[in-house]
Amino acid sequence: MSRTWIGRLCWAAVLLGLLVVGLVGSRFVLYLAMRVMLLAIFALGYNLLFGRTGLLSFGHGAFYAGGAYGMALFYLHLNPDPLLGILVGVAVAALLALVIGFFCVRHTEIYFAMLTLAFGMMVFSLIWNLREITGGDDGLVGIGRDPVFGVISIARDGQFYFLVLLCFALTLWVVHRIRSSPFGLILAGIRENHQRSEFAGVAVKRYRLAAFVISGAFAGLSGALGAMLESNTDAFSAHWSHSAEPILVSLIGGIQTFSGPVVGSAVFVVLREVIERYTENWMLWFGLILLVIILGFRGGAMGAIERRLGGGES
Amino acid sequence: MLTSLVHVCLAGLSKGMFIWLVASGLTLIFGVLGVLNFAHGAFYMLGAYFCYTLLSLMADNFWLGLILGPLCVCAVGFVMERFFLRRVYHLELPYQLLLTFAFVLIFDDLVKMVWGAGSIGSPSVPGLSGSVPILGRLFPTYSLFIILVGPLVALGLWAMLERTWAGRIIRASASDREMASALGVRVPALFTAVFVFGTWLGAVGGGLAVPYVGLLTPGMGESIIIDAFVVAVIGGLGSLKGAFLGALIIGLLSSFGTSFIPTFDMFLTFILMAVVLLWRPQGFFGEAA
Amino acid sequence: MSQPLLSVRGLYKAFGKVVTARDLDIDFHPGQLTSIIGPNGAGKSTLINVLTGALPADQGRILFQGRDITGLPVHQRVQMGLCRSFQVVNVFPGLSVFHNVQIPVLALAGRGRRVLGSLAREQEARRETERILEMVGLADKASQPASALSHGDQRLLEVGIALAARPRLLFLDEPTAGMNPVERREILAGIQRLSRQGVTTFVIVEHDMDIVFSLSDRVIVLHRGDIICDGEPSAVQCDPQVRECYLGEEVL
Repeated sequence: MSRTWIGRLCWAAVLLGLLVVGLVGSRFVLYLAMRVMLLAIFALGYNLLFGRTGLLSFGHGAFYAGGAYGMALFYLHLNPDPLLGILVGVAVAALLALVIGFFCVRHTEIYFAMLTLAFGMMVFSLIWNLREITGGDDGLVGIGRDPVFGVISIARDGQFYFLVLLCFALTLWVVHRIRSSPFGLILAGIRENHQRSEFAGVAVKRYRLAAFVISGAFAGLSGALGAMLESNTDAFSAHWSHSAEPILVSLIGGIQTFSGPVVGSAVFVVLREVIERYTENWMLWFGLILLVIILGFRGGAMGAIERRLGGGES
Repeated sequence: MLTSLVHVCLAGLSKGMFIWLVASGLTLIFGVLGVLNFAHGAFYMLGAYFCYTLLSLMADNFWLGLILGPLCVCAVGFVMERFFLRRVYHLELPYQLLLTFAFVLIFDDLVKMVWGAGSIGSPSVPGLSGSVPILGRLFPTYSLFIILVGPLVALGLWAMLERTWAGRIIRASASDREMASALGVRVPALFTAVFVFGTWLGAVGGGLAVPYVGLLTPGMGESIIIDAFVVAVIGGLGSLKGAFLGALIIGLLSSFGTSFIPTFDMFLTFILMAVVLLWRPQGFFGEAA
Repeated sequence: MSQPLLSVRGLYKAFGKVVTARDLDIDFHPGQLTSIIGPNGAGKSTLINVLTGALPADQGRILFQGRDITGLPVHQRVQMGLCRSFQVVNVFPGLSVFHNVQIPVLALAGRGRRVLGSLAREQEARRETERILEMVGLADKASQPASALSHGDQRLLEVGIALAARPRLLFLDEPTAGMNPVERREILAGIQRLSRQGVTTFVIVEHDMDIVFSLSDRVIVLHRGDIICDGEPSAVQCDPQVRECYLGEEVL
């Protein structure tokens, strides 16, 4: 049996397991699983930019917030349809990423990181200060979950869970397709050597921008679902410290692997839950974990496992 | 009108000087080591907390605290460079940035564990606690004192870099690491020294902030490090002259912003940063790539 | 003579006070294997950089197949058929040899925009990639990561990537640097063969005079930003000015 088939079976098992969790899980487990999936959507998209294209953004919190606030404002002022709301959230995030990315992809490395930080914090400051529109530090509250197509209820967490699972599966599929597409190969080429890519006929900036927008759209999807899950929005989701989350998650799982961000999200959410049960200081522990990863296990968890199994992926 | 303008300017200058104290260390470290240190704000915070503790231990002698506190933080900086940062110089940029970010998480929580998660009220400095009238309105003496200290530090740094043997070595290593190494400079030791010195600058900033900010909070490093990033970027990464100017601009901008357009105060800062990065990525004083 | 493939008119480029191209006029003709030589600092690399778009020209015009490309970005020039290889190894180190060559193939075919399409189903690109790997002799190493190749093989891969962009005109910047004699002979034979096929016109920057004079149809000698000689190898070899300023004792 080839490795691709083993991989597919693993994913089928994971999705099946999540389906079972949705049917029998307690409220707490459901909530936790949803948090993992939302973070995984965020990180899977983000890692197309970070692990695949080699660009470190400190501004993706802004796109998460774009999705959350886009969805929330649409719900509160225009139309309570949930799917439409999610689409609007994703569109807002993608548009925001298009505008911000247009400027940011002119630079690489530290200048790119600083530019994304600046733009992300601009979005944060607007959300923080434009109280009439965004609710400022209170955020927007009272985001309800109306039935899908007017009939399928998603009001209870046990019902909403399946919408999240569907979006998660969709994200997995799309990101996997992107990674194994010609486009994905060219992104990897840009990461490996952007100068050579240009001399191979690749319009490097345009591809970087495309990766930026795609990752922004997934951040928006995560944000829109997050707003629905919590029934409110949080200004700090646009803050740079929130932008660091998908980076951490990708690193924990392994930035060069497809499954890395998902595994990293599970580790991050669950470990945080466990640590917070015993101590207040989960940041300390994550700092230490991060240290260990950077100094010893730069491939992340899945990178280490893949090395064990022999052979890697490009 | 004139009175309030002058006061807004003075407030901006004193704020700018704090950012300068933090940004100077950040810039020096970036200039020589090539590492943008997220944890530099944590050194500022540690400086403040150490000074505060020493202050309460030693019969409220602020000046003694200001000397000893930053020295303790230097030890922390030494450990961080010698045993951790040194191992990632050869790695790609994200790993360097994230290693320093890991230390932000660690230091923030350690401070919470030791000093508590709440805010701590800070004491005032005898002799500098009052206010003086300027154009008929009172202005805190301590802020005036800070406005004096900032340029003094700048002058001291300049004299050290331009006039001393150590400064010449630092400048040589900043411009060409291999060459300096070939000429017999012990680069690893120099890196440690520069990092510790940069740490000291940040910690002194924190120590001086104790009477100024009024409240010590575990998040105080995080807000100033972003300001310091902005300043370092505007001035040109690695340029001390640029950082000084940048700090003045950001201090004044934020002071005027808070007074006149509070809604867009933070926005202004970041749009300035973005515009400078796009229009002149090497900053005001950085050398063109 | 036929219409030139690439025409350079009044090209001027300087770094501060150092002039690396002083009002150059050059025509490169299809099928003519041209070498550019000159002592260090003559402006050879700068010329390549300006012609391929890595550096902007200060003055002058560059025409490729009759079209003005002076202001075009690198990737558009490549897509029109103007490509180069590099002096130092410049490949995609973490990717397989196959993918290294596949990237330009996909980019040229405009397939890179396929965001959700399957790479495995790109039959045409696969065949083209295999053809090029066969041509440069790396077919049996296709699945190895580029970073695992020997230096000589990396140089071959370098040429392979450049060829994969289907260039009409290809600049090779010291293609044999760091190769052993056997590899060197192989790659030169390959270049000569490809040149005779007439699809790609080669312009080579070289230091090794044996190569230059045995291979080229035409030799251009640059010196401090000026062309001091331009003609058939035998004529250039005999030119007194060239001997004096550049070849020195090497040829005597």
